[in-house]
Amino acid sequence: MTSARRAAAEAWAFRARVEQEAALRFDRLAAVVASFDPGSPVPAMMRRAADDERRHTELCARLAAQLGEPVTLGPTELASIAPGSLDARQAALYEVVAACCVTETESMATLTTLLAAESDPEVREVLHAISKDEVVHSRMGWAHLSREASAAEVSFLGPLVPGMLAGTIDETLFRPPPADEDPEGLLRLGVLPLAKKREVFLGTLEEVVFPGLERFGVDAGPARAWLSAAAR
Amino acid sequence: MLFKKLFQVLVLGGAVIGASAGCAQANAQEKGKKPPADAGTTSAPGSGVKGW
Repeated sequence: MTSARRAAAEAWAFRARVEQEAALRFDRLAAVVASFDPGSPVPAMMRRAADDERRHTELCARLAAQLGEPVTLGPTELASIAPGSLDARQAALYEVVAACCVTETESMATLTTLLAAESDPEVREVLHAISKDEVVHSRMGWAHLSREASAAEVSFLGPLVPGMLAGTIDETLFRPPPADEDPEGLLRLGVLPLAKKREVFLGTLEEVVFPGLERFGVDAGPARAWLSAAAR
Repeated sequence: MLFKKLFQVLVLGGAVIGASAGCAQANAQEKGKKPPADAGTTSAPGSGVKGW
């Protein structure tokens, strides 16, 4: 097996698990958000997003298996990732921002970059199908943050964003690429080479996520400081 | 260019959706309430969500 095929198989298997977790998280958050903001469009979006993510899980798992990495999916329950000191409404906002404003926004940038490159037809079909849904998944996070910013105190998030970011990245992101990395082969199989992945991650934070947080009253200063230190 | 477009589509587009159904209701005396002094510093410090 080539290095690109092996790395892509692992990446698609990882994505299948990530998508399954997203489905569980959106199902849980839909109920929580509806409990304190029944007029919000976000819970219905989250329930549809959970269905999307279950479909994405199957698509990613199928590609992983075709590339030689059968997927074993994990548990069917998912604990909150919010700090224990937050109340239920703050915890929901923390988790929506982490999952949607950060991670789904980063995923959308990754998908857009991958779709601009040459990829195998079946890979391209999967990327395209998933990207259509991920737009909505990111938007629902920004929709929820904008509603909470108009009704509640959201500045508590500022010092907590570095923790979200630390939990989002792979520890290899700021390291040199593997010696046998095949950038063109990876792109054909729907995976960003490490240097491109880093470029997209940093650009998305600096030009989309941080300005977005600031727009709704969340200080991005601590996150910028964390990023500066992490990327050094 | 990619990032500018993403900001418009995702952040601004999300804000439009959020505003489309009226405002969220604040909890009693929620607005202006300070966060707990130990926010994010308890034994469960908070984490992030892995993605693509």
